Amino acid sequence: MNRRRVAVTGLGLVSPYGGDSGDFFARLLAGESAIGFLRTEDVPRPLAMPFVACPGFSADAALGRALAGTLDRFAQLGVAAAFAAWDDAGFPRRAAAPDRESWGVTWGTALGGTLAYEKGYRDLWQRGRERLSPLSLILGLNNAANAQISIQLGLGGVSMSHTVACASSAIAIGEAFRRVRSGEAPVMVTGGSDAPQAYAVARAWEGLRVLASSDESGAPQSCRPFSVDRGGLVLGEGGAALVLEDWHHAIARGARIHGEILGYGTTCDHSHLVRPEAAGQQRALEQALADAGLTSGDIDYINAHGTATAEGDPVEVAALRAVFGERAARLPVSATKSMHGHQLGAAGAVEAIVTLLALRERALPPTANLADLDPACAGVDHVLTARRGHTLRAALSNSFAFGGSNAVLAFGAVA
Amino acid sequence: MDSLTIIREFLDSRLEIAPETVLPEAKLDDLDVDSLMLAEIVFEFEDRFNLTLPRNLKSPRTVGELVALMDRLRSEQG
Repeated sequence: MNRRRVAVTGLGLVSPYGGDSGDFFARLLAGESAIGFLRTEDVPRPLAMPFVACPGFSADAALGRALAGTLDRFAQLGVAAAFAAWDDAGFPRRAAAPDRESWGVTWGTALGGTLAYEKGYRDLWQRGRERLSPLSLILGLNNAANAQISIQLGLGGVSMSHTVACASSAIAIGEAFRRVRSGEAPVMVTGGSDAPQAYAVARAWEGLRVLASSDESGAPQSCRPFSVDRGGLVLGEGGAALVLEDWHHAIARGARIHGEILGYGTTCDHSHLVRPEAAGQQRALEQALADAGLTSGDIDYINAHGTATAEGDPVEVAALRAVFGERAARLPVSATKSMHGHQLGAAGAVEAIVTLLALRERALPPTANLADLDPACAGVDHVLTARRGHTLRAALSNSFAFGGSNAVLAFGAVA
Repeated sequence: MDSLTIIREFLDSRLEIAPETVLPEAKLDDLDVDSLMLAEIVFEFEDRFNLTLPRNLKSPRTVGELVALMDRLRSEQG
């Protein structure tokens, strides 16, 4: 098979810190937590939990009111992130371009338009209304973000959403990568978005007993991956996008190349919906390395899935130890969810951006709040404070989802 | 509130269309009111005045036709 190299030429996200992807990465290097606190006055019991919001995001400002009004929050975040990545790649918006008929979009969302559906349920059952607005269905569609990205940017190729829980956008990126590498599409927009603050969604997560709990003052330090006192994950909203491009296409137009996607592995544990298995994760890691033509000795950094759940963290470290053997102890690993939280369907794309910027900037962001390492999570080189100046060649980003779906992306630095 | 004012307020809030440009002779197409947005406007009237629109209505082409349709239904069902 004639494999093409795949460049990443656009990065964009809606950041909880309010700035662009460069600012986002700088905040992570500084160890700055974006975790705040969500309070709602919903009946029957108000929500009060650590949460990562994007308070500076104005959908009207980013998208225009007409477009924003036809999108649920998750899709607003997604389209805004895609616009940012598209602009970063240097492509004009909506230019007449017949060559874009093969360019496409793959998008990850774990939840889709749950805020819109929840509003519908409230209108019908709480407020006693008998009908819903015609937009209700459109707002709730899981493919609303990728459809509108295709429409707004004039992309005529595949437009597809991937719903694979916490691995949604890692898998979306992997599937886009395959399309560019095979020559099917010279350019793909990919990423993911989610907005999990619907009352029933947040309560459902709470019911699973995997959320970190704290009062408002302790929220910024409430997510503690790999720590002996970890208490679970912190939900967040967000959107993150990448523009993937055939290497020669990018070079020919003089595009700035942030990094390269080298490989992708995806597997299923096929054992349990919510109890992860190291063996399935190990196979995904090995598959990504083989797909990239790399060995374990080529990897200089791993952005862990690292959600800070009791079960998940030791299993991930066990998988890393199994793949990297004796070298695991010298393998730099960090879980940046400790600072930016878990944006579910956006998480894989957020962390892909973090991994690419680590390679580009030769700087490793830390795992925050890791003062007391759980012995069950030992055996890798946990990055506790930012490291700079290292020569970094290649890195992996892990995304391991409920359902047992695993995705690993391999990235390479631009020489 | 008269029907034209309701339509103007709706288009101002949803599409940022200046109310003074929403004149009876203005074509809905020219105002970027597509079939989905028209359905939203109709829903606004149904919801506000508890109306039920027959499904086989001829789609209005201008603001004036939309106003006339809503005025008629409001007088028949209001």
